[in-house]
Amino acid sequence: MPYIFIAPNLLLFSLFMLFPLCYAMFISLHDWDLVGDTSFAGLANYSRLVTDPLFWTALRQTLLYAGGAVPASLALGMLAAVGLNQRMPGRIFMRSIFFMPVVVSGVATAVIASWLFNDNYGVINALLERAGLSRVNWLSSPSWALPSLIITTLWLRVGFCMIIYLAALQSIPRTYYEAARIDGASALQQFIHITWPLLRPATFLLLIINVIYSFHVFDLVFVMTGGGPGFSTTVLVQYIFNLAFASSEMGYASAMGIALYALILAFTVLQWLAGRRSEVAMGGG
Amino acid sequence: MARIRSFPLVAWLLLACGTLVMASPIYWMLATALRPRAEVFAAQPSLWPSRLVWSNIGAVFTQYPTLQWLANTATIAVIAVAITVTINLACGYAFAKFRFPGRDVLFFLILSALMIPIQVILVPEFLVVSWFGLLNTNWGVILPRCAEAFGIFMTRQFMLSLPDELIEAGRLDGAGELQIFWRIVLPLSRPLIAVLVVFTFMWRWNDFAWPLVVLTDQQHFTIQQGLNLLKGDPNPNWPHIMSLALISIAPMLAIFVACQRFIVQGVANTGLK
Amino acid sequence: MSKSRISAGPQAFAKGTGRRDLLKYTLAAGAAGIGARSARAQAPVSLTMAIWGDRTSEIAHRNVIAKYQQQKPNVDIKLEVTPFGQFYQQIDTRLAGRQAPDMFRIQYQQVGRYANGRTVVDLSPYLPADYGSAFMPAMWQAVNYAGKAFAMPYHTDTIALFYNVPLFEKLGIVAPTSLDKSWTWAEYTDIARRIKKDGGLPYATAMIWQTSNAYRWLPFLYQHGGRVLEDDFKTPLIGSRLGIETIAWTQSFFKEGLSPASTSIKSNEQPQNLFANGTLGMYLGGDWHMSFLRDNMTTPWNVTYMPRDVAMASDMGGNCIAVSRDCKVPEVAADFLKFLASEQSMRDFARDGALLPIRTSLAHENLQYSYRPDAMKVFIEQATTIPENLARTVGLPIWSRINQRLADQLDLAFTSDQSAETTARNIDAAIRVITGA
Repeated sequence: MPYIFIAPNLLLFSLFMLFPLCYAMFISLHDWDLVGDTSFAGLANYSRLVTDPLFWTALRQTLLYAGGAVPASLALGMLAAVGLNQRMPGRIFMRSIFFMPVVVSGVATAVIASWLFNDNYGVINALLERAGLSRVNWLSSPSWALPSLIITTLWLRVGFCMIIYLAALQSIPRTYYEAARIDGASALQQFIHITWPLLRPATFLLLIINVIYSFHVFDLVFVMTGGGPGFSTTVLVQYIFNLAFASSEMGYASAMGIALYALILAFTVLQWLAGRRSEVAMGGG
Repeated sequence: MARIRSFPLVAWLLLACGTLVMASPIYWMLATALRPRAEVFAAQPSLWPSRLVWSNIGAVFTQYPTLQWLANTATIAVIAVAITVTINLACGYAFAKFRFPGRDVLFFLILSALMIPIQVILVPEFLVVSWFGLLNTNWGVILPRCAEAFGIFMTRQFMLSLPDELIEAGRLDGAGELQIFWRIVLPLSRPLIAVLVVFTFMWRWNDFAWPLVVLTDQQHFTIQQGLNLLKGDPNPNWPHIMSLALISIAPMLAIFVACQRFIVQGVANTGLK
Repeated sequence: MSKSRISAGPQAFAKGTGRRDLLKYTLAAGAAGIGARSARAQAPVSLTMAIWGDRTSEIAHRNVIAKYQQQKPNVDIKLEVTPFGQFYQQIDTRLAGRQAPDMFRIQYQQVGRYANGRTVVDLSPYLPADYGSAFMPAMWQAVNYAGKAFAMPYHTDTIALFYNVPLFEKLGIVAPTSLDKSWTWAEYTDIARRIKKDGGLPYATAMIWQTSNAYRWLPFLYQHGGRVLEDDFKTPLIGSRLGIETIAWTQSFFKEGLSPASTSIKSNEQPQNLFANGTLGMYLGGDWHMSFLRDNMTTPWNVTYMPRDVAMASDMGGNCIAVSRDCKVPEVAADFLKFLASEQSMRDFARDGALLPIRTSLAHENLQYSYRPDAMKVFIEQATTIPENLARTVGLPIWSRINQRLADQLDLAFTSDQSAETTARNIDAAIRVITGA
């Protein structure tokens, strides 16, 4: 009986996800320039991966990007949620504004972000200059390009984290806080002993979603920096895309794609197991 | 009232500053959309346009098939939401409330689809869609993304918390499985359905990478493709681009502002306890 | 539908073509007797053609199609416009899925790749014997692969130097007025320094090689007498003295702050924006930028020639159109392409699209461009300096891979402290891996 409920989903999943994934694995065992003939390459594309310094560079930049964007968007999202969960003037308006970027498409974000960050006619540099500070080469200096991408990502992601945290906050019973107040606990103590631990499941979910999102980052890089300057913003999906469609090495690009998939999968499983263990340690959450 | 006074002014000011920062890119979009074209590249951009050129927004509708693009996107999004939400609710329900061989493996397999970057399977997926003759059709855009891992995951989490007794009671009354799902489970899932509808609609509205390869005929373009087309012109008209960007955001913003409270409560009810 | 598409083929050529040509097409179309087909003489044929471009060039394409349809009312050609940024990704994906448009626009640099994969149709069976001799040699060279024409060249673009007229007047700089008087590298550097120092501008100049169009660096290499590859088209030569010196010279504009860092190769900056808003006093840009400047720049501007060193060289821009292997009626497509590249169409197309013609017969003709014919004249002259060796090099099937590595390394040289020597060495090593030399 359950199969009736699963069947439509499974059919579409097999056709449009599983099969293409297997096909990508098949391609990864070949040399193929997309427009010409293919030739069997065995595992050569995978062994090339290990020795390709650019792969390791791209992996490092991806981790740096995730390491910057994920904790910051979680922290800011939590702060905004805790703040905007209180009754205060303009609460609904502020929530809407914080969430607004979430509904903005990748194309529109990239359009506006490359304008704001433009070195020469961007409004951020104009404001810095008006404030008596010096201009920054946001997108064209190797040290600022990645931070610029991370800042843009924060703008996009904080609202999503905020909504999830808000939802989680609303399911914490008020009586917990009332009891704490009676015991004379300060606002900070209430946060540390009640809010923080009870937000763990939400944090856990957001951590997984945001890490996956970070490993998939592409549109922003493609439009804002093209992977440069140098290799400072060359992240994995951007490198894969370039291999596939700019230098026509589809076999190698597929191998790297499969490797990335395996990497994210392994990470998620590990996180899942760690999350379970800590839940058990906490007494079942 | 006591609560309002007790909320520290400093925290309120911080949040207000945060709001300002979050709003500024959208403001800049608006300011560029209404600027005279000659001011767009000023080396010292002014925060206010020297005069407001409202005709920029009108021009987007008269010079490009913007209404057609909006209609295409709305059609795709509405059909996709109907199919996606229906099949993912059914699937998530089965994973939450039935025991059957291979359940956990299957669940994890489907979930892991979340982790494939679309760029990796773009070419094979295109092959599948072209074999079915779905290129340049709305179905070619809609179907490949209907089996959607996020929806299944959310549904399963939500339905785990529905009491089994209700379903058992239905069975004892002699109701069929589909009837139970339709009469008992779905009415209890309203907050979940609201969240899934809003998020699925949003993702479909904003989808770009996939429509780009399926839809090649300008008449079939989605609004994001239209935006990309304007942006890709070697002689880009930036006030038009920004106007179109705002037009593309507006429906989503309206939906969110209207459903805001609903969404937060919906997410709160979907297993984030 | 597909049946009628095929059957319409030979008929399409029966009108307006000579008897000898008709015989040729009949042979080319294969042995399937013409008698049976001509019974459905007016059967409609529909073709798709994918292009990128701005509105001006889109309109120019539409005009040619309209004129062709006046002659061949049964042929319907549908134009698909995709932004350049996603164009090749889309075409390659559709080729892989055997769903490519019947005809698509490509840059000369890409012909070798598609021809090598046999994803585009050899046009030579549809062309008279010495058809190519009427075209500029570099362009005809570029569409030929293994001795056969795999695309129809129909226009070119090239790069010259745009400058800010009031600024040059203020600084007393007089731009060269003929090709043989174009500035040397030393003069060009000197003028850039004066623009920054005496003109008080934040930067002086830039080159349009952004979004990884590294092949636009090659004109400098050829101006200096260098080349990318040996005569075997395998052994790299960037590591030679000439290559290293060219890297060092192009790098010096970033080191001295004469060019903004944001105009390096991987960036998405558009130097024409910086020229229009007065950040740059001059820049090396393409003829297709003129409509942008018309709409966005209030200060008067003019165009002069690219700088030169031991030789003159400019970029081989412009495009040709190929017929994909998925086209059911290549002979109809080829007939349209011949129409497109005919003298009359090429003249009209160049004028409507503000692009450069590539028939030698049109090189010295006054084409009556509607906008800035004086500036177009500079570009037309500059286009004669495209080296044939450059054309062959960028026409190699492996060029797209070399281009990617060139972009990687030059970007490092321009945005970090990587020395010219290291850059050249890295490029050569990457080329050796690609060519197997």
